[in-house]
Amino acid sequence: MTQIQIQVQEDQTLDARGLLCPMPIVKTAKAMKTLEPGQVLKLMSTDRGSVADVPAWAEGTGNEVLDSHQEGDTFVFLVRKGKVA
Amino acid sequence: MSDHEKLVVMVTHGPDEPELATIPFAMAGAAVASDVEVVMGFQGNGCLLVKKGVAETVTAPEFAPLGGLLESIRELGGQLLVCSPCVKSRGLSEDDLVEGAEIVAAARFVAEITSATTTLVY
Repeated sequence: MTQIQIQVQEDQTLDARGLLCPMPIVKTAKAMKTLEPGQVLKLMSTDRGSVADVPAWAEGTGNEVLDSHQEGDTFVFLVRKGKVA
Repeated sequence: MSDHEKLVVMVTHGPDEPELATIPFAMAGAAVASDVEVVMGFQGNGCLLVKKGVAETVTAPEFAPLGGLLESIRELGGQLLVCSPCVKSRGLSEDDLVEGAEIVAAARFVAEITSATTTLVY
């Protein structure tokens, strides 16, 4: 079986590793304000709460989580900025 | 957000209870980050948290430090309203409070709460 892997190039990376609740989301919101609609932010977080927080935040703010996965202790998210934010 | 949403967060615990003092800031921080209008109301010992230099001294285990949360909430447009009698009874004036903190009375709190989508009281 062929594995399909999404290849998305991020426009900006936010290293929120070591930050505690709710700062990964607060920093993400600030970073997204500097992006244009359609651009992608790569977020790295070690806060376990981010797994639930990032999708909930994205849904509420009109942004889109393209991918989320774990690399060791780090949760990685690719978030595309929506049209209205 | 498709509709305008407004959250009022009332804070009544002071620096002697770091976790109960920090949780409302964590909720308010997540809300401003989510494009929700946020008004924080400080009553009782809660008003000590917006005295200059105090927030930086409060950290609850496993929560972001309160000083950074307060700064982010202000930066993202959160309002800080402080109970007038609570401030006076603690010998404080507007000059003693962080920039942007506004001393108000009960009717203003009522107006903010009745026009909010939701109010959280801590």
